Amino acid sequence: MNRRAVITGVGVVSAFGVGAERFWDALAAGKSAVGPIRSFDAASFPTRVAGEVPVERTSAEWILEQQAPEHLADSFAAWERDGVLRDRKVAFGALAACEAWRRAGCESDGRDAWLCLALGLERALLEDFAPLLDAQQIRWAKEAGLSLPRTRFRSPVDITASMIADGLGLGGPRAVHTSACAAGALALAHGARLIESGAAALVVCGGADSMVNPLGIGGMARLGAPSPRNEHDACRPFDRRRDGLAIGEGAAIFVLEAAERARARGARPFAEILGWGSTQDAYKATAPRSDGKSASRAIQRALERAQLGASSIGYVNAHGTGTPLNDPAEVRAIRAAFGAAAERVPVSSIKGAVGHLMAASGAIEIAACLLAFERNTLPGTAHHEERDPECDLDIIGHAPRNLRVDYVLSNSFGFGGQNASVVLGRCS
Amino acid sequence: MGALARPVPIVGAAAVSAYGLEWRGLSRIVRSNRCAPVASTELGATHPGTPSFEVQALARATSVAEKRARLLMSRSAVLAAMATSAVLGDAGWSEPLEDVGFYLGVGASGGSLDQLTSMLAASVENHRLSLTRFGNQGLLACNPLFAFQLMNNFTLCHSAILHGTQGPNAAFFSRGTGTLIALLEAVEAILDGECDRALAGGADSSVHAVTWAELVRDGWAERGLVPGEGAALLALARPATSERAHGFLDYAAVAACRTRPLLQALADAQPELGCASIDAVVLAPWGPPARAALVAFTDAALPGRPVVDVERALGESLAASPALAWAVALDLMATEGLDRVLILSHGLDGDLGVVTIRSGGA
Repeated sequence: MNRRAVITGVGVVSAFGVGAERFWDALAAGKSAVGPIRSFDAASFPTRVAGEVPVERTSAEWILEQQAPEHLADSFAAWERDGVLRDRKVAFGALAACEAWRRAGCESDGRDAWLCLALGLERALLEDFAPLLDAQQIRWAKEAGLSLPRTRFRSPVDITASMIADGLGLGGPRAVHTSACAAGALALAHGARLIESGAAALVVCGGADSMVNPLGIGGMARLGAPSPRNEHDACRPFDRRRDGLAIGEGAAIFVLEAAERARARGARPFAEILGWGSTQDAYKATAPRSDGKSASRAIQRALERAQLGASSIGYVNAHGTGTPLNDPAEVRAIRAAFGAAAERVPVSSIKGAVGHLMAASGAIEIAACLLAFERNTLPGTAHHEERDPECDLDIIGHAPRNLRVDYVLSNSFGFGGQNASVVLGRCS
Repeated sequence: MGALARPVPIVGAAAVSAYGLEWRGLSRIVRSNRCAPVASTELGATHPGTPSFEVQALARATSVAEKRARLLMSRSAVLAAMATSAVLGDAGWSEPLEDVGFYLGVGASGGSLDQLTSMLAASVENHRLSLTRFGNQGLLACNPLFAFQLMNNFTLCHSAILHGTQGPNAAFFSRGTGTLIALLEAVEAILDGECDRALAGGADSSVHAVTWAELVRDGWAERGLVPGEGAALLALARPATSERAHGFLDYAAVAACRTRPLLQALADAQPELGCASIDAVVLAPWGPPARAALVAFTDAALPGRPVVDVERALGESLAASPALAWAVALDLMATEGLDRVLILSHGLDGDLGVVTIRSGGA
């Protein structure tokens, strides 16, 4: 390992609102933000609650109200005119990136900076198809006669990356990770590898996603993944009564650089990225491996790369979706990787509090891990009340735990069987 | 990246294109000037008469598991699965494949338009979307597992599930560059010791009604772009463990073009490339402006070398285009007895891909 990659900037947009401090304050206070969907009329949908960012419509005006840089006002207005902001994750990603960039204090360094971003699916704009539908067929020839904003049918997958690169003036290559729920962790690992190898001096990385839209919510409901209860405690990770996930939205973006570079310019690192690992279940499209074997190997690889034994890990931020199958599979994975140390390591999931951010979940959960270093506080597991014998680890309950730890592990296990684990360390 | 510390052996290759399921012989077809698009079957209902380079016969599912999996797969995912099967065979890799890494450039969601149309038909009132109807009836009109067709990481995951690759992996959205990133990450995973073997490539289709409608709307059809599709993969191995190789990857880089013109990026990359040893050039440009810049560079820096334009011969296959170019380069090297081939790609996502492959026996 030539260089050590550290996080010197962080920005968060979550169901608690805009800003990393707001996110950490809410987690430290044991709050939960899952509630009724307000950004569209979901009354007829099977799923009607989500961890929704508190804004009905993402607009240029709203972005500027969130302390986004004034000099980007014209860009935001252009995005709105072009219809780009109809995809909520664009606004969330841009705001989180602006915050991370500001906190890192490297405004003029972007010329060669890489961007490694985890992004969810394009937003399908069903309303744009409707005028073309005739006798139960889409008549594409009618499109020429329509007057629609530039972004139509679906938002481009990589539009958020383009907007962030343009907004921050990032001139390096762009990598758009689309590995579902594992993408955020993989993007961070990718960025760390670029720093360690010397391929990049500065990387902006993280994830942004929103499936809080009709097809996103409806499609997931059709799969049967969300809890059928439309309550604020829809997602109850590791709880005996858990019955599904809560969909969330938002973004978490980081600035990475080499520790030496950060020190030289007087930047304060939030954490060091010590290791990562990824594997594939190669099992089923619809379910994880129940024995957690592949996920366990991802954890082991992350520990090996970090050159740490499992007993060194002071906290595990679990993927913890709150679904009947995923949680016990993850517990088995942790047990297999940690051995006897599994009995002692505190574990929690923030998905009960903010929902499942899909492609951005790994990123926001790594942001949650920073709470351990920033405030010596381990986030709790919102709505976890009844212990499940199948999930018999030291699950942190609703209340956060005050504890100083030096190393943490974050797990992200995606639809399709993609697994990723990341180890972070406290910076001395 | 750039010049690799140790050249990485390419021990297997696969290409699925309009010309079949073989990578061997593809360079001759591409150079023959016999490549002509035919009226698209896939776009026949939505954009009748559109010429395309379409994979005419998708391989039949050969097992019950594969047949069931196909119900959840987009066209790109099927193409990727075909290429995966072929590359594993070409590399002589058989189970267990627990350690094999997999890095893939993938495109946008390519779900069935029939599913989408059924959903819309149940949800539209007076040419407007009714969310009430969508929630009550539209959702029920589609396959409950439709979401798995829409998730573009499943282009990779279905192949991994079908073939049992369980190593490090990642999917990258690509309109060119992401496929290069997939190759770079596969190389890093091998050189970094994360795995001894890895697959890298891309799979995509622009022969999809929504994708093609977007390309038409953005003016690409007018500018002569022809839709294509395909999948191509390279099987890479750790240098010390390889006994046979089709060739060796000795240079791989992505160069950003946002702060400088494409021609400047090419000129900047030139000193590292070792142009004197390059025998031929394979291009995968996105549209006429990129083609003009890549050809201008080649004419100036590599005069007299044969130039093969994959996009012109196989259509615009988006995430698959750079990987198809690598496969063509390998074949070109083998059939013409060349020592080193340069592959240049430039996608709509704006960055330049530079790869060189040198010969290595077998």
